[in-house]
Amino acid sequence: MNKELEHRFVTELENNQNIVHKVCSLYTNDRDSHNDLFQEITIQLWKAYPKFRGDAKFSTWMYRVALNTAITLYRKSKKRIQTQDYDSVIFKIKTDEYDDTQERQLKLMYNAVKQLGDIDKALVFLYLEDKDYSEISETLGITEVNARVKMNRVKNKLRTILNP
Amino acid sequence: MVDELELLKKDWQKKEAHLPKLSYDDIYKMIWKKSSSIVKWIFYISIIEFVFWAGINIIFSDPESMQELKAMHIYNAMMVLNFVNYGVILYFIYQFYTNYKKISFTDSSKKLMKTILDVKKTVTHYVWFNLIIFTITMVISIYGVLIYGQEGKQIVEAALQDSNEVTFWVMVAIVSIIFTAVLLLLIWLFYKLLYGILLKRLKENYNELKKLEV
Repeated sequence: MNKELEHRFVTELENNQNIVHKVCSLYTNDRDSHNDLFQEITIQLWKAYPKFRGDAKFSTWMYRVALNTAITLYRKSKKRIQTQDYDSVIFKIKTDEYDDTQERQLKLMYNAVKQLGDIDKALVFLYLEDKDYSEISETLGITEVNARVKMNRVKNKLRTILNP
Repeated sequence: MVDELELLKKDWQKKEAHLPKLSYDDIYKMIWKKSSSIVKWIFYISIIEFVFWAGINIIFSDPESMQELKAMHIYNAMMVLNFVNYGVILYFIYQFYTNYKKISFTDSSKKLMKTILDVKKTVTHYVWFNLIIFTITMVISIYGVLIYGQEGKQIVEAALQDSNEVTFWVMVAIVSIIFTAVLLLLIWLFYKLLYGILLKRLKENYNELKKLEV
């Protein structure tokens, strides 16, 4: 019974691991922290798994646990890198793509997103993942109206970071 | 700006191909690793606190101390205090346990953060309660020693020869108050630091979400 649960969980996580990697690349700046956070999220997912009833999609449920771990539980390592080092996979942009203005702009955008606070990052993350406002509001525990208000503020913040 | 975010969204989804890929075995190994989350730390700190204060109570309840208390005529007062103390400690343990059980990562972020802060609040209340009990015990003990204790009587007599009674008791009161205040301040600072380190980020994030509702 337990073996079966383990197997089911690991298989589902293996198939959906992208979600966790994306959260990690948003909330950490180097590979070690990325792996640490991935592990912590995995532990929290596994601990919560027996209560997962399957009435929601496994991936939807994962977003919640992964973001909650990043926002509330995870303590950044002491050797936190203040400057952006672009070591995390998703933010790495190959140098040969540099000349392209669009790539350049994207790099700036990713950089700006990285400078946001934990909650703002969560909003941007859910937005990038194509979640609607009702899911964003449910995940964070705020009303839909407030989620929209907050999102607008985040957009303004990004604008200020990009055009100081 | 909206367009730029849209652009980012498209790129974001394209990037999935470049993400690391962990194997079944990698993930399987991870589920048996120990969590390093702050909730676990709060849990350990709380257990240490419950044990520490219960230990202090037990150390001061040995038969020898009890005899001394009887000699000093403060035995009854101390017994009542102890009785109240144990009752309240049991209540706190129950409260702590039920709050701790409520922590669920499948709740919304805001609710989850509130539950974690509630657990911390229970522990803080427990510590303050113990400090109050501790202070009352100190005051009763000082009183008992000075009025009924052998050495206490000598101290009082010696003091009364040098100055008048009122000045002496005022001095006793002032010294007690300063001593207690310094002690409380140190403990308060210790907790401020401890939970400050552990919960600073969580508190900031929680307040950010809460601020929206106003």
